[in-house]
Amino acid sequence: MTLFDIIFTGSKQALEAAKGVVQDAISKKGEEGKVAFPETAYSLPTFYAATGKKLGTLKDLKDALSIVESLIVEEQSLEKALNAGLATALSAEIIEACKYATQEKPYSEPCAGFISDAIIRSLGVPLVTGDIPGVAVVIGEAPSAEEAGKVIKGYQNKGLLVFLVGKIIDQAIEAKVKMGLELRVIPLGYDVTSVIHVVTVAIRAALIFGNVQPGNLGDLLKYTKERVPAFVNALGPLSEIVVSAGAGAIALGFPVITDQEVQEVPHYLIVQKDYEKMVATSLEARNIKIKITEIPIPVGFAAAFEGERVRKED
Amino acid sequence: MKETNFCKSCDNATVKMYEYAKEMGLETIWDRAQAMQPQCGFGEMGLCCTNCSMGPCRIVKITEDGPKKGICGATEDTIVSRNFARAVAAGAAAHSDHGRDIAQALYHAALEEGDYEVRDKDKLLKIAKEWNVKVENRSLKEIAREVALMALEEFGKPFGKLRFLGRAPEKRRVIWDELGISPRAIDREVVQVMHSTHMGCDADYRNIINQAAKAALSDGWGGSMIGTELSDVIFGTPVPKKTQANLGVLKENYVNIIVHGHEPTLSEAIVIASKDPELIELAQKQGAEGINLAGMCCTGNEITMRHGVPMAGNFFQQELAIATGAVDAMVVDVQCIMPSLSEIVKCYHTKLITTSLKAKVPGAIHMEFDEEKAVEIAKKIVREAVLNYKNRKQKIYIPEEKAQGYVGYSYEAILKILDKVTNSFAHPAGTVKPLVDAMKSGVLRGAAAIVGCNNHKVPHDSGHVTLAKELIKRDILVVTTGCGAHACIKAGLMSMDAVNYCGKGLATCCELLEIPPVLHMGSCVDISRILTLLSDVAKYMGMDISDLPVAAAAPEWMSEKAQSIGLYAVSSGIYVVLGVAPAITGSETVVNYLTSDIEKILGGRFEVESDPVKAAEKIVYHIEMKRKMLGI
Ligand code: SF4
Ligand code: SF4
Repeated sequence: MTLFDIIFTGSKQALEAAKGVVQDAISKKGEEGKVAFPETAYSLPTFYAATGKKLGTLKDLKDALSIVESLIVEEQSLEKALNAGLATALSAEIIEACKYATQEKPYSEPCAGFISDAIIRSLGVPLVTGDIPGVAVVIGEAPSAEEAGKVIKGYQNKGLLVFLVGKIIDQAIEAKVKMGLELRVIPLGYDVTSVIHVVTVAIRAALIFGNVQPGNLGDLLKYTKERVPAFVNALGPLSEIVVSAGAGAIALGFPVITDQEVQEVPHYLIVQKDYEKMVATSLEARNIKIKITEIPIPVGFAAAFEGERVRKED
Repeated sequence: MKETNFCKSCDNATVKMYEYAKEMGLETIWDRAQAMQPQCGFGEMGLCCTNCSMGPCRIVKITEDGPKKGICGATEDTIVSRNFARAVAAGAAAHSDHGRDIAQALYHAALEEGDYEVRDKDKLLKIAKEWNVKVENRSLKEIAREVALMALEEFGKPFGKLRFLGRAPEKRRVIWDELGISPRAIDREVVQVMHSTHMGCDADYRNIINQAAKAALSDGWGGSMIGTELSDVIFGTPVPKKTQANLGVLKENYVNIIVHGHEPTLSEAIVIASKDPELIELAQKQGAEGINLAGMCCTGNEITMRHGVPMAGNFFQQELAIATGAVDAMVVDVQCIMPSLSEIVKCYHTKLITTSLKAKVPGAIHMEFDEEKAVEIAKKIVREAVLNYKNRKQKIYIPEEKAQGYVGYSYEAILKILDKVTNSFAHPAGTVKPLVDAMKSGVLRGAAAIVGCNNHKVPHDSGHVTLAKELIKRDILVVTTGCGAHACIKAGLMSMDAVNYCGKGLATCCELLEIPPVLHMGSCVDISRILTLLSDVAKYMGMDISDLPVAAAAPEWMSEKAQSIGLYAVSSGIYVVLGVAPAITGSETVVNYLTSDIEKILGGRFEVESDPVKAAEKIVYHIEMKRKMLGI
C-alpha cells in the first residue's frame, strides 16, 4: 500500500467510527441532544476554525459527517492526503464530542481530556516569549517505561509542553514522570482520538492569539505551521488511523517523528529508532532552539545535542 | 505552416520583435520557414537517400507503382535508419568535439602559464578518484594534466570502454554490454556509424540503430559528460544564483555584447574581459555607461549557470536580438548559429564575430580564438565591440520584457540543497535520499527533463512552457537545459513565485528547499548532469534508471544534437516524448521499433506528441505506471 493509501484507509476508518459513535449517541440522547466541550467559546474548535460553523446538537454532528466525507478523495497527491488527514482530525473531534455529549465525566485522573480556553490563554504568553519553546505530542507506546521516561523527561527538562496520548501515559507514570500543567506534562487520554484535544489547543491559539478568522482554513494552517512549534512523536506500532492522524498533524505543519518503519517524507515524517536521539531529532525537525537555562527538574538526562550542529552550514 | 493568425511565440518580447522586424523589412527564421512550405515529403519521412552518386534515390509510398527500393536495393527501413543514424552521429560529433575542446582547455589549465586554472579542486579530485588517477604527493596541475590526457584519450583510445560508463547503475551496464552497445571511444563510434551507413554496408535497421545508440551513448556518457565535468573543474561547478532573462536585458546606454554558441572556453574569457577596468573606461569614453554582457543559447546557459550573466534569449531570438539595434557585437563560436545573422547585421552596426575555425560565416569578422591566449583575445573582441558603440545608426528598440529567476542547479548544488531537509540526528548528509523519499512517499510523483531547441513547427517556447506548467501542476519536478531553460525562465517558471503553478506536493518541496519548481541544470551538454543524478537515484534505490518514475521531453527540438540526446536518453532507459516527429515516418518498422519494441530491449522509448498538454498526460501516465510497478 502506498503511504497515501494508508492515510486514506485510516481516514475512512475514522469516519466509519465517527458515524457509529454519532448513531449511538443519537440513540441515547436523541438528535437534539446537546453537544459541547467544557469551558470553551469555540464550540468544536477544529470544525469551527475550519468551517466557521458552530455545532450544538447531535444532529449538527450527524450533518457534519458529510463534510468529513467530502474531504476524503482518494487521489494520489499530497493535497488529497493532507485533506484526508484533516478529515481524520474532524472525525476524532466528532467522536470526542460524543463522549462529552453522552457521559457525565468522560475523562478522569490522570487524563485531562479537553483543555479549557482558560488554560490555553495562560499558555499563550510563555509560548510567545519562548519560555515554552515547543509542544511535544507523544502518542502510542514506547518499548518500555524506561524509554518513555527518557523521551518525556527529555522534553520536560527543556521546558517543552508535553501531551501524552495512549499507553505512554501508564509508562510515564511507571517511569515516575511528574505530571501536571505546571510541570508541563499533560496526559490527554488513552484513545487515539483524544489527540484532538491538543490539536484544538493549536487551533484555538490561532483563533485567540493569531486573530485567524473562523472558516479561513488557509490562514489557520499557515498560523499553526509558522507559529505553533508543535511536533508529534508516534511510538509503537502504527495503525492506519494513527498514520492518517499524522497526516492531519502534517497538514497543520507539525512534523511527525516515529520509531517505526515507514516511508519517510522529507522534513515531515522522520524515522528515528534510537530513543537517545528522539528528542534531538524532534527539536531539529521543528527547528526548536532551546534557551540556555534548563528547567531544574531533578532528572539526569544528558542529551548530546546541546552543541550547535556542525554539519549544516546555515 | 499556414500564414494565419497563429501564435508565433508564446513569448511577448519575441512577438513584439518579430512584428518590429517585419516592419523594418527584415527577414527572420519565421519568414524563411514560411517560404519553405510545403517542405519535401520524402525528406520529412526520411525516405530520400543521397549516400552515393547513383542516387539521389527516394522511396515512393503514396502510389502503388512508385519505387520501393533504392538503386542499390536499400529498403525504406534501411534508408530511414541510415539517415537517422547519421543525424545522431552528427549530433554526437558536435557535443563530443565540444567536450574535446574542454579537455584541451583543462590541459592548458594544467600548464604553468595560461588563462585557465583549476577552479573546482574537489571536482577534479573526485574525477581523478573515479578514474584511478594517483593523487597522493602530486600537485593539482599534475593531476589535472593526467585527467585531461585521459579525457582526451576517451575520444580515440584503442581498447576498453568509456570511463564514465562506470557511473551508470550495474543493471544498465549489463544491458549495454549484452547488446554490444557499450561505447568504446567517442570518435570511433561516430566513425563507425558513418562507415556502416555508407552504400553497401549495413542494411539491417536494428543493427544500424544499435550502432547509432552506441554513438549516442558515447555522447551522453562520453563527450557531453566530459564537457560538463571538465568545464566545472576549470570554471567552477554552478551554484544557485539569481539572474534575468529575455531581450529586455539589453541596455540602451551600455555596450551590449551577446555571446552566442556553446563552448564556455570562449564565453568565460569574455566574461573576464567584459569586467576589465580599462575596457570599461574605454566604453565610458565612447559615451556608454559600461559594458553589458548577455548570453544566448547554450553559451548563455553556461555563463548564467556560473556567473549569473543575463540570458538574452534562445535559438529563435538570435536574429531578433540584433534587430533591437542595441547589440554592438555578437560573438559566436560553434553550433546553432544561424548563417542568416550575417545578413541581418548588414542592416545594423552590429559586428558578428566568429571565433572558431570550425564555424566561419561568410560576411562575419573572424577573430580566431585560442585557448592559450584566451583572455588576451577576449579583450580584443570586447574592445572591438566597445569601439563599435559609437557606430550605432538605427533607432534602438529593446522590448521591456525581462524575467527574473534562479539558475545554477548543478548536480552538486542539488545534493547540497537536499541536505536542507535531512535531519542531522536521523539521516546521512550528501545523498539523494530526500529526493528518493519525496518520490517514494508520493509527495513528488516523479521528475521530468524538458530539453531541446526551438522549431518553427511548434509555436516558439509554447511547447516548453505549456508542458512545464502542466507537469508541475501535477507534482512533477521539472529540470531543464538548453533553449528549454531559456523558455522556462522567461515564462517566470524559475522564480520562487512559480510555486503558484504547482500542485501541493511540489509546492511543499519547493518551499522547504527554497527552489523554483523548474530547475535550470545548464546547457545541452549538461544533460549529462541529469544522467548522473538519475544514476545516483537509481543506485540508491537499488534499481535501473528505466525503473524510475521519470521522463524526458524535447517539445521543440530541431538539431541533430537533439537526436543524439534523445537516443542516448532512450538507451539509458528513459521515456522520451518528442514534440516534432523525426524523419523516420517513412518506415513503419523503424517507427515501431523506436516507439515501442526498443523499450523491451533498452527500457526507454520514443513517443511523438506535438500537443504539449497531451504530452504532459502521456508523461503523467508513464510516471504513474512506473510508480505502480515499484509499488509506490
Ligand atoms: S546508397 Fe543506395 S539508396 Fe542511397 S543513393 Fe546510393 S543507390 Fe540510392
Ligand atoms: S537547445 Fe537546441 S537550439 Fe538551443 S542551443 Fe541547444 S541545440 Fe541549439
